[in-house]
Amino acid sequence: MPKILAFLCNWCSYAGADLAGTSRSQYPSSILPIRVMCSSRVDPLLILRAFLNGADGVLVAGCHPGDCHYQEGNYYTRRRFMMLKKVIEGCGLESDRLRLSWVSASEGSKYARVATEFTKKIKELGENSAKNEIFL
Amino acid sequence: MIKPAASSEKKGAVLSIKTTIQDSIRNLLKKGMDQGVFDAVLIPMRVPAGDSFSYVLIKDKSLLNNAVALPPIMSVQGAKAVSSVTRLGNGTMKIAAVMRPCEIRATIELTKLDQVHVENMTLISIDCPGVMPILDFIREPEKAIKLFENATKSWDDTIMRPVCQICDKSSMIAGDLHIGTLGTKKDAFFIISNSKKGKDTLEKLDIPLNGNIDSWQIKVKENAEEKQKKRKKTHKDLKTKIGHLDNLLDTFSQCINCHNCMRVCPVCYCRLCYFDSDKVKHPSGEYLRRAKEKGSIRFLPDTTLFHMGRMMHMSLSCVSCGSCEDACPMSIPVAQIFSMVADETQGLFDYVAGRSSGEPLPLKTYKKDELHEVEDAHD
Amino acid sequence: MTKALKLTKNTEQGVREFVKFLLEKGNVKGVFTLKKINQKGSVAYSLITTSDELNDAVPFYPLMPTNAGTLLSRFTLNGSTTEPIVAIVKPCELRAFIELIKREQGSLENIYIISSTCGGVYPLKIVAEETIEKNLSQYWDAVKKGEMNENLRPACTGCTEFTPYTADITVDLIGHNNLDKECVLILNTKKGEELAKEMKGEFLERELDKETLKKFYDKRDAAKKKLFNEINTKMKGLDGLIEIFGRCIGCHGCSTVCPICYCKLCEFDSSDSEYKPSTYESELKRRGGLKVPPGTIYYHLGRLAHMGISCVGCGSCEDVCPVDIPLSIIFKKVGESIQQIFEYIPGKNIEEKIPLLTYEEEEFTEIEE
Repeated sequence: MPKILAFLCNWCSYAGADLAGTSRSQYPSSILPIRVMCSSRVDPLLILRAFLNGADGVLVAGCHPGDCHYQEGNYYTRRRFMMLKKVIEGCGLESDRLRLSWVSASEGSKYARVATEFTKKIKELGENSAKNEIFL
Repeated sequence: MIKPAASSEKKGAVLSIKTTIQDSIRNLLKKGMDQGVFDAVLIPMRVPAGDSFSYVLIKDKSLLNNAVALPPIMSVQGAKAVSSVTRLGNGTMKIAAVMRPCEIRATIELTKLDQVHVENMTLISIDCPGVMPILDFIREPEKAIKLFENATKSWDDTIMRPVCQICDKSSMIAGDLHIGTLGTKKDAFFIISNSKKGKDTLEKLDIPLNGNIDSWQIKVKENAEEKQKKRKKTHKDLKTKIGHLDNLLDTFSQCINCHNCMRVCPVCYCRLCYFDSDKVKHPSGEYLRRAKEKGSIRFLPDTTLFHMGRMMHMSLSCVSCGSCEDACPMSIPVAQIFSMVADETQGLFDYVAGRSSGEPLPLKTYKKDELHEVEDAHD
Repeated sequence: MTKALKLTKNTEQGVREFVKFLLEKGNVKGVFTLKKINQKGSVAYSLITTSDELNDAVPFYPLMPTNAGTLLSRFTLNGSTTEPIVAIVKPCELRAFIELIKREQGSLENIYIISSTCGGVYPLKIVAEETIEKNLSQYWDAVKKGEMNENLRPACTGCTEFTPYTADITVDLIGHNNLDKECVLILNTKKGEELAKEMKGEFLERELDKETLKKFYDKRDAAKKKLFNEINTKMKGLDGLIEIFGRCIGCHGCSTVCPICYCKLCEFDSSDSEYKPSTYESELKRRGGLKVPPGTIYYHLGRLAHMGISCVGCGSCEDVCPVDIPLSIIFKKVGESIQQIFEYIPGKNIEEKIPLLTYEEEEFTEIEE
């Protein structure tokens, strides 16, 4: 089972994930949720650390643009995410291991769907070899 | 505490080499891990691309098969590796660290500066033939390996760093154990204990300290004396070359203030160097004033101040490893100069950096009655 | 058409005389430019306040001992310059200074900028090898003909931003074969015109020779694509990164000389990036072994994430690397790909915000796919 770190914003995505749970929507146990107050708190360095420590995938989920609890956080998240994708791609790594999704508090089924789709994708990509690398 | 044992006290063991000295060292370390004497080993390994070597902290014994004690280059000064592992504490692992004497000495200096904790570490040094300048290796790794192998066999230092060529401490014992490869019979090597921890380690490994190491001591003394002569002459020539302000300024004129020398130095541990701090960041008016005084100033100024300031800060702990010169992109003979000055500053206090962890840093102690020659020297 | 000032001197001498004139008239109190600083002929940036010292100025010397963007930032870090100065810098250095100003690390106030279309610089090791003087005439021959020079910094070989955007005065060097006979100062801004107005010389209308520059651009662009393709063949997967950065010794010289990396205490030097003994222990349990010091790849990827958006492709990083890692091409390539997302050219327009510090409400909707 791949290990996918999911950074979920407190106000929307975490609540959405919670709803998926209470609604008994099925999704794989690959997801390891980490609650953050806003998706913009996710420093690109945290994502890089996750990958270099062996995470097979990283999901960042936040409120839909326009609905951020802190008004503008997710606009910055979106730009940072675009940037980080290019860094990962530009260095020859698989940028598909990184995904951004907007999940509102009421979108429990969307969360389950994204989690399922993403897990499938990560399984296709295989294990992240960084897990066991010595010369990092 | 590691104290330098008196020569007559030094106890040694004679071990046989079945295949190569590298294999023997690996087997010893493996044995240590098997018996739980060590939980991990800090030793260099060749990097996957083959164009360099890195220190690796090894817990999986099978990795020891690819470990190389004393590779042809010093990519990272061993003391920096020790600091990376133990600056924040001892941890629970018992670690055997295999490094060159200057790297062990730098580690000892760092214990005095609270930058390493070696209570759970067994420091093992080994007779060192020197290291090649790193670019000489990187440009043609396979050729360099052969050159280094031959140089080790004949103990010939012509391909080594300039400061290695005049190093008289390449067999200096400063850690817990030392592996002696000089003055040995064919297919044998010495292990010498230098501390209680070293002695206990050999006991646990069933290695009796009943060997006669006189032949090693004689050879080491011979080599050291030869190197000391060479060192004296080289320093005399160097002093002439950089003596006088003009020559000194010229020598450092190519310096681009990248501070690589400071960053790779094992002794320069400050997270924020004085010479990177606000203290050297002046307002424009100040720079303009200085420029007007002289008609022009180099910008940024104070290049020579950086080097002399660094000398003042760290020369008492300089182990003449030469990492600074390897890292200089402008090929300035930094190590040669710093090493020469360090000899003089350490000589003032009869201090040898890293000789013993029991010796306090000279500027952190004093005698009430000393150095009168600097007081009112011009009366 | 832009106003220009033509002096009948060779270009370098013309510029020297122009800045001497400015100094003597009191229009500026200091000149910031490359200068021969000793008998050996070592070249370094200098702040010059007297005419005599200007005799040793070598404004367009093909060397970059330090990126002048950093130097101008240091000069104005604690406030804009108290007295007016004129600075002669290369296009990428100017762009770096603009990017630093956006980060509140300097000020352009009271600074007049002279720049040029740039033929590139030699790697610093040419200084240690003492071969730069031998190369000079060949260098200028190629520049005058609008041809590519060999053995320049790789970053320069693939540089398509060789025309300055925001200089007050530009000297067009590329493709002009009469640099020996005349010096033409193109006065781009009002500031530039004001500065030059009392200088003795012929005032005329002149633009940058766009056609010649386009031809040169095409050559450089082709070289850039070649360099990027070459490095891409080596950057396949984590193994590729481990191979390229395997010999990195963690000296962080690259970030020290990088004009954009201005942080007093870099994240990767801070305690954030230190491994605790317990971290080593848990890492060792999983991996069996760990390179010490750890975090090499993390450092380079992290630096890309932090400064890639403003990388001006000067190539100082690769020059200072003690183990010859092809850093400048990697950082230039990834930096440009980040900048292209936002159609951003670092240092082109001082009013343009750094893309990661702003946003549009409707953009990049494709990211969710």
